[in-house]
Amino acid sequence: MKIGLFVPCYIDAFYPEAGIATLELLEKLGQDVEYPLDQTCCGQPMGNSGCNSDAAAAEALFVRNFAKYDKIVMPSGSCTHHVRDNFDAIEQTDEVRHVRENTFELVEFLHDILKVDAFPWAEFNHTVGLHNSCGTLRALRTASMSELGEKPFSKPMDLLGKVRGIRFVTPRRPDECCGFGGTFSVTEEAVSSQMGLDKVRDHHEAGAEYIVSADSSCMMHQQGCAERAGVPIRFIHIAQILNGAAQ
Amino acid sequence: MSARDEILQALRANRPTPENHPLPPVATLGDMDASRERFIASLKILGGDVLEPATPGETLDEAIARRHPDAKIICSNVPEARGTLPVEKIRTPQDAAMIDVTVVRAPFGIAEMGSIFLSEAQLPINSFAHLGQHIVVLLSASELTANMHTAYQQRPEFRSANYGVLMSGPSATADIQGVLIRGAQGVRSLSVWFT
Amino acid sequence: MSERPVNHARAAEHFLEDKPHLQFHDERLWDMRQKRDAQMHILPEWQELREEASRIKEHTLSRLPEYLEQFEENAKKNGIHVHWARDGAEHNRIVGEILKAHGAHNLIKSKSMVTEECDMRPYLEKQGVRVTETDLGERIQQLDDQLPSHIVVPAVHKLTSDVAKIFAKDYNTDPNIRDPHLLAEAQRQAARPVILGADSGMTGGNFVVAETGTFVVCTNEGNADLSATVPNLHIATIGIERLVPRMADLGVFVRLLSRSALGSPITQYTTHFRGPQKGGEMHVVLVDNGRSARLGMEDFWTSLKCIRCGACMNTCPVYRRSGGLSYGAVYSGPIGAIIDPTFNERKYSTLPYASTLNGSCTNVCPVKINIHEQLYKWRRVLVQHHEMPFVKREIMHMAGKLMGQPKLYRAAIKATEVSLSTMPRFVLYNWLNPWGRHRENPHPVKQTFNDWYRKNRKPGKEGTPEAKK
Repeated sequence: MKIGLFVPCYIDAFYPEAGIATLELLEKLGQDVEYPLDQTCCGQPMGNSGCNSDAAAAEALFVRNFAKYDKIVMPSGSCTHHVRDNFDAIEQTDEVRHVRENTFELVEFLHDILKVDAFPWAEFNHTVGLHNSCGTLRALRTASMSELGEKPFSKPMDLLGKVRGIRFVTPRRPDECCGFGGTFSVTEEAVSSQMGLDKVRDHHEAGAEYIVSADSSCMMHQQGCAERAGVPIRFIHIAQILNGAAQ
Repeated sequence: MSARDEILQALRANRPTPENHPLPPVATLGDMDASRERFIASLKILGGDVLEPATPGETLDEAIARRHPDAKIICSNVPEARGTLPVEKIRTPQDAAMIDVTVVRAPFGIAEMGSIFLSEAQLPINSFAHLGQHIVVLLSASELTANMHTAYQQRPEFRSANYGVLMSGPSATADIQGVLIRGAQGVRSLSVWFT
Repeated sequence: MSERPVNHARAAEHFLEDKPHLQFHDERLWDMRQKRDAQMHILPEWQELREEASRIKEHTLSRLPEYLEQFEENAKKNGIHVHWARDGAEHNRIVGEILKAHGAHNLIKSKSMVTEECDMRPYLEKQGVRVTETDLGERIQQLDDQLPSHIVVPAVHKLTSDVAKIFAKDYNTDPNIRDPHLLAEAQRQAARPVILGADSGMTGGNFVVAETGTFVVCTNEGNADLSATVPNLHIATIGIERLVPRMADLGVFVRLLSRSALGSPITQYTTHFRGPQKGGEMHVVLVDNGRSARLGMEDFWTSLKCIRCGACMNTCPVYRRSGGLSYGAVYSGPIGAIIDPTFNERKYSTLPYASTLNGSCTNVCPVKINIHEQLYKWRRVLVQHHEMPFVKREIMHMAGKLMGQPKLYRAAIKATEVSLSTMPRFVLYNWLNPWGRHRENPHPVKQTFNDWYRKNRKPGKEGTPEAKK
């Protein structure tokens, strides 16, 4: 199985350590991973804004970069959601369908495809609160949703539960959106920032030292809100913990 | 073209394909417990209460006087209670608005919700059920139906009454800063007396 | 369609400045959502009920002309006068004429979103009719001359002190009252004489049963019952989408409505009107006002399933932090954002963007409207119809082009790396740099992932996937 690694633009530019951890983790798990150098973006910002035709160039490039791989893995739920569910600015050829059907967010790839049952190298002696992005939660369904009253399950928690020393706390509103929302974060910056602040306070008051998430975009926003308001909480991508971050 | 025909024509032109949306069979879901205990528990959640003889042999009139000691005008539309004002005197809403305690009989209740049903068949005028300050409702435990599905499927009153109200506890509001207040525009309290 | 788009973002910002109001609003609606969850957990059949409700509604909408005709026939048989209104103006004219024919000047009414749509009150008042809202929240909004800010709890954005101030003006109560009980009692005392003196009453209609000609009105205060039974003239304004085929279908909807709305099992009053009361007269006005056109919108017709419970508003993190009035429309929150543009595309073109697309609204909807997917689709439609501001449109256009050209894209990143203290434009399309107003920017990094990979996993270098082969 040949894996193509997609590193979303904001991880590339601001959180390279999350990308590195993803790559190293997959390699530790014995996977054959490649990162096509000419990658840019999955097209989500244009698609989410309604400017779907403007997503065509990004989507076409994405397919050119990744069509040759058996699986495409990315440390981002919202990008995965875009590729899987909304990637229709370009003609739906066999190649495009192959890419869309074989794109996975990192947690679901580890949990559902590789079915990893241990991370012997991973230890994290901290109290964490898990933030599921709305993309991973309600689109990819990597965990049960509070609105549906379904039997509780959580793929990210299943994975994190295998890490030595880690402790969990649950905020009062565990699956309320943090307010990032892509361009929403700038077009509705006031509401977005309030939501982010409420989110980080909720985790902090629950006793979390870290917010851990499979989505760096949510955390980029939450970190900005926490730092501005002086909420003492740190952020870490789930890949870093699973890869054995020693922080 | 009339508004009616224009609207219907537009709906016919615009509707989704009817064959793709068959009517599901009537649903009968949920708890089928039609017990008095379930009814009472539900009634209390919605702010209603039961009225029971405090001592063996206490009459309905006595129980009403005990629950509503300040009531001056009690108007009963049931033979089980005499009240203080004959129901024949109630001809207008203005008459009904003077009443402190209204006494009526409900033909049935719904255990799931603690609801009682009233229609013009139980009321001298329809507003009789709402303009009094308090209401006491007589109900036979054998006339309880389990839930909303069984109620709508089995009770003929829904098809015969021109005016049929399910009252589930007293009038209530939480429109001011979320504070729950019993007794908004309608009755301030609702008590059920089982017979 | 030349009206300026609603500036939701600015109105929301204003709402956020008042912390006590913000905090109450958010907590109150979140509490309603929690109570709704509790009801859901009590009922193992919850998802089945939602599915059933959705299927009944979709079926009904696909046969709406037939069911409307059936309702009309049965209602007429029962002595109800049935009227049809193409739009708000026609509705208002019909109601005005009925009132005129009865010489009615004192109208009491319970809450009806359709009469808000039609902007009926000012019309009737011009005609010399005194209109009094009997729902407490709606009355507060009427006295304050504001639209309802929520479908179910119209004055949820107000605190007790606000209501005290409003009542002091109109009811001569103490403006310093801080006990809601006293204010509710003041409303009861003020409303009674108006109710008893009314010569006409109006209600809306939550559900309409085709097979019996019945319409159902749900309230907690009992004010619809008072409005309908005290005066001898009862006019009900009802949207044409409110039908269900069978009496038995009400079981499904009544079980879902209040549980979804307030988290209470049922509204205190669930009233079935099948004909006029003794000596009375009953009219039903069936209102289209854009609904028949919406039925033809492939991506949006299912919004007509809506039973107006407000659950999507209660759960919406954006609505809770911006308030219903910020939407500048009769319908606010997620459901408003998908139906308001059908009334006026330009004016409400901003509303589908007042969402993070998080999807919670869809999950709580008792009739399973895919609200967040419709928000997404509305954005596409609005862009196609040129309803996106030029600057934003251009930025997306440029970003889209850039994302298709890896070499240019890398060069752009390099350029911004030089000054990483500011937010790079290519990431957030940051035309006025609003990111940093309430938030810190992300921290600069020494190298991008792409750079790191080139250095550490250069194709062909030992230890890389390429070399392993």
